[in-house]
Amino acid sequence: MIHCYKLSGLNIVLDIYSGSVHVVDEVAFDIINMYEKKSQAEILEFILNKYPDNPEVNDAEIKDCFNQIEVLKSAGKLFTPDTYEGMAGKLKEKSKGIIKALCLHIAHTCNLNCSYCFASQGKYHGERAMMSFEVGKAALDFLIENSGTRRNLEVDFFGGEPLMNFEVVKDLVAYARSVEKEHGKNFRFTLTTNGVLVDQDVIDFANKECSNVVLSLDGRKEVHDRFRVDFQGNGSWEKIVPKFQDFVKARGGKNYYMRGTFTHANPDFLNDIKEMLNLGFKELSMEPVVCAKDDPSRLTDEDLEIVMKQYEELAELMLKKHREGDPFTFYHYMIDLKAGPCIYKRLSGCGSGTEYMAVTPWGDLYPCHQFVGEEKFRLGSVFEGVTNTAIQEDFASCNVYAHEECKDCWAKLYCSGGCAANAYHSTGSVKGIYEDGCKLFKKRMECAIMLECAKALDE
Amino acid sequence: MTIKTLDTKNLCESAKCGGCGECQTSCQSACKTSCGVANQECENTENK
Repeated sequence: MIHCYKLSGLNIVLDIYSGSVHVVDEVAFDIINMYEKKSQAEILEFILNKYPDNPEVNDAEIKDCFNQIEVLKSAGKLFTPDTYEGMAGKLKEKSKGIIKALCLHIAHTCNLNCSYCFASQGKYHGERAMMSFEVGKAALDFLIENSGTRRNLEVDFFGGEPLMNFEVVKDLVAYARSVEKEHGKNFRFTLTTNGVLVDQDVIDFANKECSNVVLSLDGRKEVHDRFRVDFQGNGSWEKIVPKFQDFVKARGGKNYYMRGTFTHANPDFLNDIKEMLNLGFKELSMEPVVCAKDDPSRLTDEDLEIVMKQYEELAELMLKKHREGDPFTFYHYMIDLKAGPCIYKRLSGCGSGTEYMAVTPWGDLYPCHQFVGEEKFRLGSVFEGVTNTAIQEDFASCNVYAHEECKDCWAKLYCSGGCAANAYHSTGSVKGIYEDGCKLFKKRMECAIMLECAKALDE
Repeated sequence: MTIKTLDTKNLCESAKCGGCGECQTSCQSACKTSCGVANQECENTENK
């Protein structure tokens, strides 16, 4: 399978099953597009008719292009066949029972009252609660015990607002550090925060212990303050921005993400990206809101069209900034064509419910943070382990080839079948697909790969 | 007619030595509401 597209003046051909990327001229683009659908004689005639005034388009040149295509085919870089179906699920089979990442719901409560929150203001449709040290410690022990030979273990402090339970966060990190060496493990902590409780103590702690921090900011003040308000309805932008600026300055090169959400109110989210840049932030992530169909903040079809254009303009801005020596990163445009994930990773799905689980304040296990609060997805607990093996089996069998709709999709080895939670909430099945998400994902991948092509051509 | 081929990881080849499982889980680090694996780094130190 190939995918041919034009973006920012480049003609790009992706060979899906080898991962090869080609930048071609317009005539070669047309030829490759038709190559497997028409005979060489038909293509030759079509191209000569289409480009009658181009002196470089003649019999010999077109035949030379056919030869180049055949050479690439022989080298396994074009029209590579799909030989992966039998491998799908093998990584999961090989690593059955191994868990390497937990999302600790350290606080099911929040000091903001954002109406678009998928976690329903941190409560996940349940009671307010804080995770105790004992539950958190049991979760870390559970992770160590079930991580097999995996060395790198990831733990997210998530909520709600995790800093509302900061003492437990600190105690859990201290505990993990005290036992990681004897077990041959390396804990990588991520802290997600809305910023309200950030102070010097938090900054010092996170910079020492957290390999990544995710700082929630929606961009422009009026956009941010529309949703991200306290329980009195006051916007949080003015309170948190200076704290985030201090936080990022103190990171000293360690990873962070400014993580925003865009909604029906701001499909022109590029303006929010620009505001983040104006504020001095360089590592950015903006996510389309995920919410119920009847939610007024949901992106409409008209919004999606705007968003698609915004993604293209964002890519162009990134390229311009890169060329000016003032680059910034966008989470969804980070792609390493030379050393990205192997084919097993690309086939085996997101890992929710198998290698990745969410832990509630009470120690219950769910396939991921987006399933917390949906009782039928409860997998077990950190005390008793996974007991709901039927549900886990459902997630274990999720891979690219488990989604009928992904069969002919060119983007499947970039998304690995998509988000199980979005699929479930959209179709009622974790093996369905979330169509709007797919549409946006494909556009993001086209932009990300275009950026890599443009940079490669610059070199 | 020109076809420029970028230097990319060969996915077919990666089948031979991949699957160590050390890489990050897919939506762990930043997004939390979507999934993609393309932006995950390979952490297989033996194959680098």
